[in-house]
Amino acid sequence: MTSKLTLHGVSKRYGPVTALHPTDLEVREGEFVTLLGPSGSGKSTLLKIIAGMELPTEGRIIINGRDATEMPVRERDLGMVFQNYALMPHLTVFDNVAFPLKIRKTATEEIRRKVHDALKTVQLEHLKDRKPQALSGGQQQRVSIARAIVYNPSLVLMDEPLGALDKKLREQLQFEIKELHDRLGITILYVTHDQQEAMSMSDRVALMNGGRIEQIGTPRQLYFTPETAFAADFLGSSNFIDATVTARTSERTVCRLSSGEEIAAPSREGFSEGQKVRLMVRPEHISLLGQAVSADRNVLKGVTTGTTFFGESAEIRARLAAGSEIAIRIPNDYSLPEAEPGAPLHLEWDVRQTHVFA
Amino acid sequence: MNTLHQSAKATSRLGRPISASVLIAWLVYLFLIVPSLIVVPMSFGTSNELVFPPQQWGLDLYAKALDPAQGWLSAGGRSFVLGLIATGLALMMGVPAAYGLSRTNFFGQKALSFMLLSPIFAPTIVVALALYLYFATLHINGSMLGLVMGHAVIITPFLVVTTLSGLKHLDRNIENAAMVMGATQLQVFFRVVLPAIKGPVLSGSLFAFLLSFDEVIVSWFIARSDQPTLPVKMYSSIQWEVSPVLAAISTFLVFITVIVSLVSAFAQPENTDGF
Repeated sequence: MTSKLTLHGVSKRYGPVTALHPTDLEVREGEFVTLLGPSGSGKSTLLKIIAGMELPTEGRIIINGRDATEMPVRERDLGMVFQNYALMPHLTVFDNVAFPLKIRKTATEEIRRKVHDALKTVQLEHLKDRKPQALSGGQQQRVSIARAIVYNPSLVLMDEPLGALDKKLREQLQFEIKELHDRLGITILYVTHDQQEAMSMSDRVALMNGGRIEQIGTPRQLYFTPETAFAADFLGSSNFIDATVTARTSERTVCRLSSGEEIAAPSREGFSEGQKVRLMVRPEHISLLGQAVSADRNVLKGVTTGTTFFGESAEIRARLAAGSEIAIRIPNDYSLPEAEPGAPLHLEWDVRQTHVFA
Repeated sequence: MNTLHQSAKATSRLGRPISASVLIAWLVYLFLIVPSLIVVPMSFGTSNELVFPPQQWGLDLYAKALDPAQGWLSAGGRSFVLGLIATGLALMMGVPAAYGLSRTNFFGQKALSFMLLSPIFAPTIVVALALYLYFATLHINGSMLGLVMGHAVIITPFLVVTTLSGLKHLDRNIENAAMVMGATQLQVFFRVVLPAIKGPVLSGSLFAFLLSFDEVIVSWFIARSDQPTLPVKMYSSIQWEVSPVLAAISTFLVFITVIVSLVSAFAQPENTDGF
């Protein structure tokens, strides 16, 4: 598959402040890649550099095989969807979507056909004569998506496109954008700070932190094998427990908690005996069921401190013998006798679901 | 039931005592507007002096004002053409200047925008004298060109201000979006920015035209005495003879001002609603 976007060591400094450390990234044709990170992580800076609204301090940007590093915005052959829609208030829905085609001096008949098709794709043909301010937020964003795909650009950038919408609409549009991407085979670079959005839509997620890409991979890779504590914490929920490495083989690393209990985890490079580490296990991977003694299971003792009911699941908070607090997510398909505060708990999870971080 | 309810509401509204601040506001407003309106009945008098109230009613003063031999028509025409051209010139300078100031960041920007707006702050008599001296070396005093340039200097700042306020409401990302979609800077300006701020620009232009239309001081310095603008002719006719024709002319000016203000008031809210 050909590459639609390649970044080679792209960085941005504002005087002494480094907004973006040298960054490499590749987006292949038809791929849905998300830049995920908290505010100030550099994701917006990176997007602005790709769009051409900022020039990089160093590095090269290749869009669809052409060096676009110093290319003016209008020549980069991009589409873009903004958080606040950025529709032209004086133009109708039809004319908004027709705008990029008119700029390209497309023939009138072809404009009519293409705009019609694009509006049909986002199911807004019936509103083509309205002005944007007469539409709801979700409808305006669908117009803006139609406008970004109508001229078939190499790459569509989406800058927190669902940030201004309420939860229900957000989920609806997530689904629509994903479906549009799969059906039309467009290449999308998406920016969000919402990890759930990133995981449900993307082929690959580039997790950004402190002006660099912390980890890049499929949503599953980021969720099941986070490489850093930040990645583990930012994607999904996580429990951290302090421990010290006591034994280590090529397969397993055994760590001791301050309570004397031992926890095993799959071995990773870079840890040695006696080293202080942080162990991580996700709340939904812990179960309360058995005292199943198996070499593949980790077991800890704790005491219930509280419960929160979420409907489809419940969260039980427990204090470990080692002192720290831990959360356990369990589906609500049975009653929970252990859930009263003060009740002792046996926590248990798969060794492979245990992660070790420095 | 419903009407009962409504009428009860109305009485309570009427019965509510008018607060002192509202009363004062109305008094001040009346104080400001009554002198302008007093010329209206006076303009329908027939005597040879300005008197209020008129002893006899008639349209003699209007006939006199419209008599070409009196020169009021040609002065009015001159002021009208001058206002149009000066406003056009101010539009061509003020709108791009405001756009440039609001969308870029460069060294000396603050100084430049202060200079652009300075004709508002500087005493008009100082501006007029400066223009007079400057135009003398250019030999354009007494010409229509001199009047147009002088008025453009006076009214451009107002167009800059109204355009800036329109641009403040315009989302920068709309321009970014247009650029990403392939538009050049010029296309962005003419096809995106200008249509989106046409309301404020239109009302700014009307305001600028009014300013030019009743400008006296600069015109007094620059206009030729035998080719005065309307306000200059009015002012000089007051100096030599207090002609009652002035009442008819003034009524006409009040009428124009009201029309222009109404048009501009209706142009404005439609636009701000759009954002």
